[in-house]
Amino acid sequence: MITKTFLKETKELLREGRVRITVIIVLMLLGVAVWISARQYQNVNAQYAMAKTAERAIWDNQGEKNPHSAAHYGTYAFKPKYPLSLVDQGVDKYAGTSIFLEAHKRNEAQFSAAADQTGLARFGDLTPDFILLFIIPLLIILLGYNSFTKEREMGTLTLLKSQGISSWKWLMGKWIALFFPIFIITALMFLVAGIVLNNLNDFGVFRWDSLLMMFVVYLGYYIIFINIVLLISSVTKKSGISLVVSLSIWILACLAAPKAASNIAESKHPYPTRQEFAANVLKDKKQGLDGHNPWSKEAKLLETQVLQEYGVDSLHQLPFNFDGYRMQKGEEHEAEVYFKHYNYLKEQFTQQSKVYRGLAAISPYLPTRFLSMALAHTDYATHWDFADAAEAYRINAQKFLNDNFAENSSYGEWSYRADAETWKELPAFDYDPPKLESILDQNASNMGILGVWLVASFGILLFTTKTV
Amino acid sequence: MIITDNLTKKYGAHTALDHLNLNVNAGEIYCLLGANGAGKTTTINLLLGFIEPTSGSAFINQLNVKDDAKATKRFLAYIPENLMLYPNLTAVENLDYFSGIAGKTLSKSDLKAFLEEAGLQAEAFQNRIATFSKGMRQKVGIAIALAKEAKVLLLDEPTSGLDPKASNEFGLLLQQLRSKGVATLMATHDLFRAKEVGSHIGIMKDGQLKQQFVAEDISLSELEQAYLNTMDYKELAS
Repeated sequence: MITKTFLKETKELLREGRVRITVIIVLMLLGVAVWISARQYQNVNAQYAMAKTAERAIWDNQGEKNPHSAAHYGTYAFKPKYPLSLVDQGVDKYAGTSIFLEAHKRNEAQFSAAADQTGLARFGDLTPDFILLFIIPLLIILLGYNSFTKEREMGTLTLLKSQGISSWKWLMGKWIALFFPIFIITALMFLVAGIVLNNLNDFGVFRWDSLLMMFVVYLGYYIIFINIVLLISSVTKKSGISLVVSLSIWILACLAAPKAASNIAESKHPYPTRQEFAANVLKDKKQGLDGHNPWSKEAKLLETQVLQEYGVDSLHQLPFNFDGYRMQKGEEHEAEVYFKHYNYLKEQFTQQSKVYRGLAAISPYLPTRFLSMALAHTDYATHWDFADAAEAYRINAQKFLNDNFAENSSYGEWSYRADAETWKELPAFDYDPPKLESILDQNASNMGILGVWLVASFGILLFTTKTV
Repeated sequence: MIITDNLTKKYGAHTALDHLNLNVNAGEIYCLLGANGAGKTTTINLLLGFIEPTSGSAFINQLNVKDDAKATKRFLAYIPENLMLYPNLTAVENLDYFSGIAGKTLSKSDLKAFLEEAGLQAEAFQNRIATFSKGMRQKVGIAIALAKEAKVLLLDEPTSGLDPKASNEFGLLLQQLRSKGVATLMATHDLFRAKEVGSHIGIMKDGQLKQQFVAEDISLSELEQAYLNTMDYKELAS
């Protein structure tokens, strides 16, 4: 009976003009979105490779220079675009693509794609994740809103009941008939994306298992929507009402809940303004050692401690250049200040994420969105991870430069020039994003919420259709 | 095959069916006559298990409908006044689906044979139901009953709205089923068709079975007289 119902429903769907047209439109949109994203992905990564090579060449070829001048000259950490960003661009557009690494200062990522666009960018982009998260649930509604109501309206329900139909087999037939086209469309999109990515060998490491996991997450999301739409269709008397209720749920889950979550999260756990943040950092910096100021109280205290430690009377008698040493100690103090303030931001981010997870109880969109972005390495957590890696690199680079200054010159020798080959000794910045296992581990709660949605929606649907 | 034992259905203070006792054996066609609201459709709905009786019992093939509603469905077929099928499927596809639900797996040739037996023209087999007249849909309904090998056929005003030719064809089909031993209960307003195809005729009013006849023992005019008298249409009866 399941197969018969599945085949019957599929034939009915295929013979309805509105369904054919809608599926064709969705497939076309997906094709265009993948094509646009693939081109964008290639362009951005080509720019990334070019900028990374050029910037490193500039760093390597500074010539003879004082290491602290090189520290101020700085370099860039570029954030790569990861393969699955082709499917879900996440917050990449707003998060910035590169961080300027310089002495004394932790900078924010800059040159976001959104900043390069006009105000018209507010209309959004046609991306695969837009189709996957918003349009396919709409397609599910369009295909399934009248799944049960049409039986009532056409009068076939009476005949079905007189034939001794099994409710759950009937439901499963209808369920599979709705799931099948969605599965085919989604699988097709992911397969095309996988083939495209697999053939772009130059950039990033593409993993089929990450793509597969993302596919599974989206299937879970669609199954929840299928269950909800069938549930509504089974309890409403008329197709029109079923359509309106389904669309209302879509608006609530996909549009209203994420925006409400954003507002609530921001009001409950606000980020400090940029000015507040900068002022707080500056205040804390001033309370410690400034590597550039040998006359400050902190510098004099350090001087006394070092002279005592080495048992000498003068900074000139030290086996290293105290200027370089002080610079390094100043860097360490500043790094601690930044660590403290960025940790506060991260804590706010964690608290905001908890608010989002709490609101996932009213919207399966939220855990799906978070999982999708995390798997694509386009979420804020990955951006934080990248920023932390860049900061760790900056701290190491500063130490490398200050040590070179301290070890190869004497106190007061600001005319010291490091060898032109010195810069090549600093390893290039290289960032590995979190592995799939780590992402799944970090997103266990999102997977759990999605799992609860799946089980609960299935359970309610099965229970409800018993009475149809 | 079809037995009702003091079958009663009440909706609040209103009694839709009042202690109905019926017995329709294999190979019999029992026609229930009565005006709207007489309790004919309520009787059929109770036999289908769509509604539960207030008191009394209904039996299909010796199974109590209330206790074994699902099991009784194996033996019965139902054709309502307006048999609605899937308009975007063909006659063969509709028959295939509905017989499949009843647990029958039939080949294409079997399906066509049943449609043919039900009197549907061969050129209509692959046409979508949306293009079918009511009479053609009723024939598909009969084909569903044939394919299911139903022992009991419940018909709720099946000839209502059919033209005389289609109504006559439908009557002939019922006779065929009767010859196969199918027990049929048909609710109808059509005295002529009841006399034509029925083996037994009952007249209902206000939920009660007022009179019963063996069809061959009564002429059409006597049946009409009895009906009008039962309905209290004195002036028409005289």
